[in-house]
Amino acid sequence: MSVMALLRPTTIRNVAEDQFVVIHPLDDVREEKVDTASLGRMSMTRSAKISLMALRGYLVLMMLLVLYHVIDLSGALNRSVH
Amino acid sequence: MLEETIVATGTDIEMAAVRGRIVRSKWARNALTFLVVFGPGLIVMEADNDAGAVSTYVQAGAQYGTKLLWLLLLLLPVTYFIQEMVVRLGIATGKGHATMIYQRFGKWWGLFSLIDLQLVNFLTLTEFAAIALALGHMNIAPKVGVPVAAAGLMFMVLTGSYRRWEHITVFLCLLDTAWLFIAFKLRPANWGGVFHDTFVAGLPAGGVTTSLVFLMVAIVGTTIAPWQLFFQQSCVADKRLRFADLKWSRLDTFLGAVFTIVVAGCMMIAGNAANVHGLAFSDPAQLARDLQPFAGEAVRSGLLLLMINAAVLGTTAISLSSAWAYGEVKGWPHSLEMPVSKAKGFYATYVVCVALAAAIVLIPGAPLQLIIIGVQVLAGIMLPSAIIFLQLLLNDKQVLGEEYVNKPWNNWVNWTIIIVLFILSLILAAQVVVPNLFPAS
Repeated sequence: MSVMALLRPTTIRNVAEDQFVVIHPLDDVREEKVDTASLGRMSMTRSAKISLMALRGYLVLMMLLVLYHVIDLSGALNRSVH
Repeated sequence: MLEETIVATGTDIEMAAVRGRIVRSKWARNALTFLVVFGPGLIVMEADNDAGAVSTYVQAGAQYGTKLLWLLLLLLPVTYFIQEMVVRLGIATGKGHATMIYQRFGKWWGLFSLIDLQLVNFLTLTEFAAIALALGHMNIAPKVGVPVAAAGLMFMVLTGSYRRWEHITVFLCLLDTAWLFIAFKLRPANWGGVFHDTFVAGLPAGGVTTSLVFLMVAIVGTTIAPWQLFFQQSCVADKRLRFADLKWSRLDTFLGAVFTIVVAGCMMIAGNAANVHGLAFSDPAQLARDLQPFAGEAVRSGLLLLMINAAVLGTTAISLSSAWAYGEVKGWPHSLEMPVSKAKGFYATYVVCVALAAAIVLIPGAPLQLIIIGVQVLAGIMLPSAIIFLQLLLNDKQVLGEEYVNKPWNNWVNWTIIIVLFILSLILAAQVVVPNLFPAS
């Protein structure tokens, strides 16, 4: 039996006591998960907030640096090459 | 869950009808459960061996032989630890990474990560450029081959079946086992050297140079990419993996990581052949042509086809990560299980990502190299911060509870990874500002 045939589900109505049923997650009843929408924003310490603000500044700076470098490489800035 | 619906009647148990498979032993149950869970881990890892990765690993082999194989081995646990966190988060929440950042860190970070993902996902340009190159070496005009490849990429996703897409993609991943045969065919005479370079870290002759630092940063950036976080979490959520599937999903991710690193090592060994024969090449397609006199037609064709396969895998995974992220953030229906008519925005995002990259590659004189360099540098700089958010989310007890939240050793490992990645990204940034930071050769 091929792997694909092995994975193909069939409809099961009864099963012997010494048998096991394997159900694909997509065929199974939807599992209840954490309701993250109702949790709102993560509570953070003051230092964590400051760290994230610093990270925000670092990332914006780095993005501008990369942008500048790409524009420079394209020759748009017309800097002389030595 | 199942136990609640079953009713015992003698030796048989009558139950509400379910779709599944009956097996007779615990061993068979475990094996089959692994097989049904298997997929996202292998795909996210192997899709990362995309066209850009082929180019990087082959280049590393050509320049430094097998001297950097240890770096790949070092990256194996790193890539596993990062993706394992994504799996836990995906299974616990049933939601994608973009949703989690929006909900837990607010709109600014949500939007930033989405834009970042979009920019970095321009990497698909590399994939289509590689397809055009490989097809060119097979005497197929890119104007014909690239649109056909793009159409194929769209078709494999638009079927309205997650399982169909997963089966096709896993099959494509497993085609990469051909790299083992290519590495065997191009194997160096000294296998002991390969073994030594894999398990003993060392620098190539010449020491620390600009090109070595760039290549090492490129290898790290190629092996761990921001889109992988978004992709696997969304994939796990779309597949609706259950809490009980966690151990099998971890195994899937671990085996995927091992397979990917082995394949990457084979790519380096293939590049080493160029080093041995003194071949200079600008891309893997050219290497395939130049190796033909030494290795035969099978290796040439194999390398070209594997290059296309790598590009196809990279494109479908990267574009899907965008489509899922947009779907989550915009509140559109976003599942591969849905027909196109019910998830138009999700599929449209995927189609636009694929079509745009294919179209840009076909524009004569488009500054592809410039865009690719910019995107790769950006990806390297953004990666550590993306992992910081992952790390914060994995310490979020409100979301994960005591059972799934990071353990102290997880945090030690992950913060070490983040610090190393930050140092590498700073080196990258420093090299952009001060190009002569390290000796040229």
